[in-house]
Amino acid sequence: MSAGRGRSRARRLESLALNLACVVVALFILAPFAWMLICSVAGEAELTRRPPVFVPAPPTLANYAFIFTGQMPSDRTRHGIFVWQTSHEVRLLLPALRNSFIVALSVMAANVVFGALAAYSFARVAFHGRRSAYVFILTSRLLPAVAVAIPFYAIVQRLELLDTYRALVLVYLAFTFPFTVYFLSVYFRYLPAEVEEAALLDGCTRFQTLLRVVVPCAVPGLVAAAAFAFMTAYNEFLFALLLTQTIAAQTMPVLLAAVATNPAVSHALLAACVILAIVPPAILAVVLRRYLTSGLVASVAR
Amino acid sequence: MTKPSLYPYATILPVMLVVAVFTVYPLLHSVYLSVHENVLTRPLDNDFVGLQNFREVVTGYYFWRSLWSTAVFAVMAVAAVTLYGLGVALLLDQAVLGSALLKIVVLLPWAIPAVISGIIWRWIFDGDYGVLNGLLLVTGAVERYVPWMSQTFSARLCMVVAHVWKQGPLAAVFLLAALQVIPAELYAAARIDGAGRWNGFRFVTLPYLKATLALVLIYETIVAVATFDLVYVMTGGGPADATAIIGWYAYTEIFRFLNLGHGAALAIILGVLLLGLVMVYLRLLRAEEAT
Amino acid sequence: MIDATRARWLVVLLGLSLVLAVSARAQAPVTLNLVSWSYGVDIVRDNIGKFQQKYPGVTVNYSDFSWATYHDAMVARFVSKTPTDVLYSSDHWLQEWAAAGWIVPVDESFPQVRQYLTEYSPFVREALTYKGRIYGTPYYADTFIFVYNADHLKRAGFAAPPGTLEELTKQAEAIKAKGIAEFPVVLAWGQQDPFSIESFTGLVFAQRNGSLFDKDLNPVFKNPGSAAEKVVTWAADALGTKKILSPTSLQAANVDQIRALQSGAATFGLIPSYSLAVLNDPGQTQQAGKFKIGLMPGESRATVGFIRFYAITAQAPRRGKDVMTAAWNFLDYFGGKTDGEYRVTKRWSLEKGLGFAQTALFADKDIRAAFGKWADVDMLQKQAQLARAKEGMTPYYGTWDVFSRAELHKAYLGQQKPADTLAAMAKKWEELKAKAK
Repeated sequence: MSAGRGRSRARRLESLALNLACVVVALFILAPFAWMLICSVAGEAELTRRPPVFVPAPPTLANYAFIFTGQMPSDRTRHGIFVWQTSHEVRLLLPALRNSFIVALSVMAANVVFGALAAYSFARVAFHGRRSAYVFILTSRLLPAVAVAIPFYAIVQRLELLDTYRALVLVYLAFTFPFTVYFLSVYFRYLPAEVEEAALLDGCTRFQTLLRVVVPCAVPGLVAAAAFAFMTAYNEFLFALLLTQTIAAQTMPVLLAAVATNPAVSHALLAACVILAIVPPAILAVVLRRYLTSGLVASVAR
Repeated sequence: MTKPSLYPYATILPVMLVVAVFTVYPLLHSVYLSVHENVLTRPLDNDFVGLQNFREVVTGYYFWRSLWSTAVFAVMAVAAVTLYGLGVALLLDQAVLGSALLKIVVLLPWAIPAVISGIIWRWIFDGDYGVLNGLLLVTGAVERYVPWMSQTFSARLCMVVAHVWKQGPLAAVFLLAALQVIPAELYAAARIDGAGRWNGFRFVTLPYLKATLALVLIYETIVAVATFDLVYVMTGGGPADATAIIGWYAYTEIFRFLNLGHGAALAIILGVLLLGLVMVYLRLLRAEEAT
Repeated sequence: MIDATRARWLVVLLGLSLVLAVSARAQAPVTLNLVSWSYGVDIVRDNIGKFQQKYPGVTVNYSDFSWATYHDAMVARFVSKTPTDVLYSSDHWLQEWAAAGWIVPVDESFPQVRQYLTEYSPFVREALTYKGRIYGTPYYADTFIFVYNADHLKRAGFAAPPGTLEELTKQAEAIKAKGIAEFPVVLAWGQQDPFSIESFTGLVFAQRNGSLFDKDLNPVFKNPGSAAEKVVTWAADALGTKKILSPTSLQAANVDQIRALQSGAATFGLIPSYSLAVLNDPGQTQQAGKFKIGLMPGESRATVGFIRFYAITAQAPRRGKDVMTAAWNFLDYFGGKTDGEYRVTKRWSLEKGLGFAQTALFADKDIRAAFGKWADVDMLQKQAQLARAKEGMTPYYGTWDVFSRAELHKAYLGQQKPADTLAAMAKKWEELKAKAK
């Protein structure tokens, strides 16, 4: 009896400790976001104080208002340095987000369509050169990004695509296709082959089989592949920095890096930019976390 | 599959085309650049110089400094990411309420751009107005603000924290997947043998995780060595050249020193370095698949 | 008769259409792509509006970039041939960009730019010239000045600002000891800020025999006992041992330095003179009005002068005569005289306190009145007369600058001896110099 109670108390203590540890980790993960959120509704003067104002009261939407409308805050004291030295770069956040979306969605769509087509052939169709083509695609990813930066630039320049969406889409496809093909071909291989064979016997072509039989079964895999492609494209920085020069194609990470490395930056304003910029991937990460988890595992095991 | 059809070739063509263009050409181009003089302020000198660019890069002491900084950053970052990832994975594997909640948010840092992670942490660590200094001051942990980013060791540490925050989830989720395939009977057997939690971990979990851990270690090494975004927004290579790791150094050669030949030579050296790591990685992976 | 009338009409018509054709050609819409770093963007936009009113055929397409990454962003722009016709540049990069063929000599197409030369301070003339050619018109020209919080000084019992580095150390130690300021000296020596090398150079110039290079571009800074060695040694000591130099200095850009002074956290600073307008702006802080100019701490009291200017890219001539004409009109409107007055230059001085290349403007009534609100104009002028252009202006100066910033930091942080830092900087210089031949 008493031994049992002792054990249950130990278990309760242990569960308490574990929960506490979870909370600590969650705090580490969430606190930076929370602080950015707080900064984004504060005045610059409240942040450039020692110590800063931890809870701005009342919260102000002036930073967001500036990003959306260009309206300078009226409260000069509260917004301090913001008033006399503000780069208009932050006003470009919305166009930059639009660019990011256009590029990321294009990359995502191309990955799902072409990636699935190729992956299915690699998974199920026997053809001459299959293995070497597969290995070639996979090993292409072993080239580190920094090492191919200048040549990528040269290609894009020669195609006269600098500062266009198409350039970024092409480069990101080169980065995302290998993973998508690998990931989906593994996924397809684990689907039961019998249904497909039945469809083929019924006179379906390979393409029809893929479209009518495989795709409906593979939705989770396709969603994960799509989300991955989207995120890679949405988050990429180095090539966006190299290949785009104006807001005609500049994506969000490039714009934010420019704003953040500007010594005259208003941190309150920058925080508002960050919050706006991380909403899309944050939603993806929470909503699709199960799909992403399986994808992440595969990505390391490549 | 009676006669050879064009179907498979047609389906892999788009992918092959894009990948080939962006693999074969860049390789050749890099090699070409690296054996030619190419300094933008001297647009007319484009002589073939053999291995001179490599020689100049490798004999420059900046290169060795940056290699050292890269090694230091990689060791700190990889150790931290792996330990953190392992800890979080073990937590996520528990059947407690907190772990279910943690699962919802754990991927968040991984999902956002590295650039943003750098921006957030740089602002937190800011020596003049950072919130970390603010909190430490309020709680009395420090007497005055500490310029974290102005000192070699702490600047590196700040970068590692930002890196771990962003990269940790990946390691955690991956290790979690490995944890979940460990048969529960093994733990039960261990418990019957009177093993405590620690011994269970030591004698059941660890052996099972060994291969996966090795993979995480090497994968994270590759990621750490190739880091660029964080340096760009957080430190710009400073203080002095404490965080001028090799990717940043290549960037400086190209955009600040305007020496494309050096840049290409560096890129190739870095490429070979990473390729070596990847080979080790693949060999380990194959060894794991074999078991 | 009829024929004669008709002929006359014909002539008139022909003449009219010719005039129309010519004016139409002149009015052919030209889009001028302008790039600047982000500063006073609203004023720039307003000036552009006025410029477009004066030249109705020209539309200016304007974008701005961060000062800290301006050089890199422009390099990417030049190499990718992103449409850019006129842009801001700095004497840091004039020769680099000219040698690379990215910007073109203005006087080759528009010799009238030379008419302004006599009005510039000698250092501006020098800094705007490469291989005998003039590369632009001034956006602003300024000098680094030494400023102090007079209130802090008084409380510490000093009647006059320090005249040398030794005195600066002494005063700073006293201020620290009295608890007036924890770190009395703050400098904008952040590695990412192109200002940092200028601030350093100014301090070197202020010392006895304050030079970095001799006439043949030999690095005299590496010689034992050089002015540079003195400055580096002083900084390392002030930072590491005496703890009178704020450690955030090594991360600080100009703005950060201004914030530190504004808040009263620091007493002494080294700033481009226009920043004093912000420091003494009563709308900004309670410390306003307390900041005064002391001549540079060092035996020679000299300082560095720098120039930021409007340049024309190599793309403009390629686009044709109309674009070139528009580009020149832009340079002339923004950096030259309009209706006998340096209109835009004066506006920057009146509204933001920016310095000017044209020495005569020191006598301008409006400017004296405006500057008088935040500075002792005579002192300002006195220091400006002691200003010299940066030394070592070559196509590889930019490369050496970036390399040196990191090297200097190693010495400040005590990672290596000042002499080693200077030796490494000299070695890099010799290497670049040898290659450029």
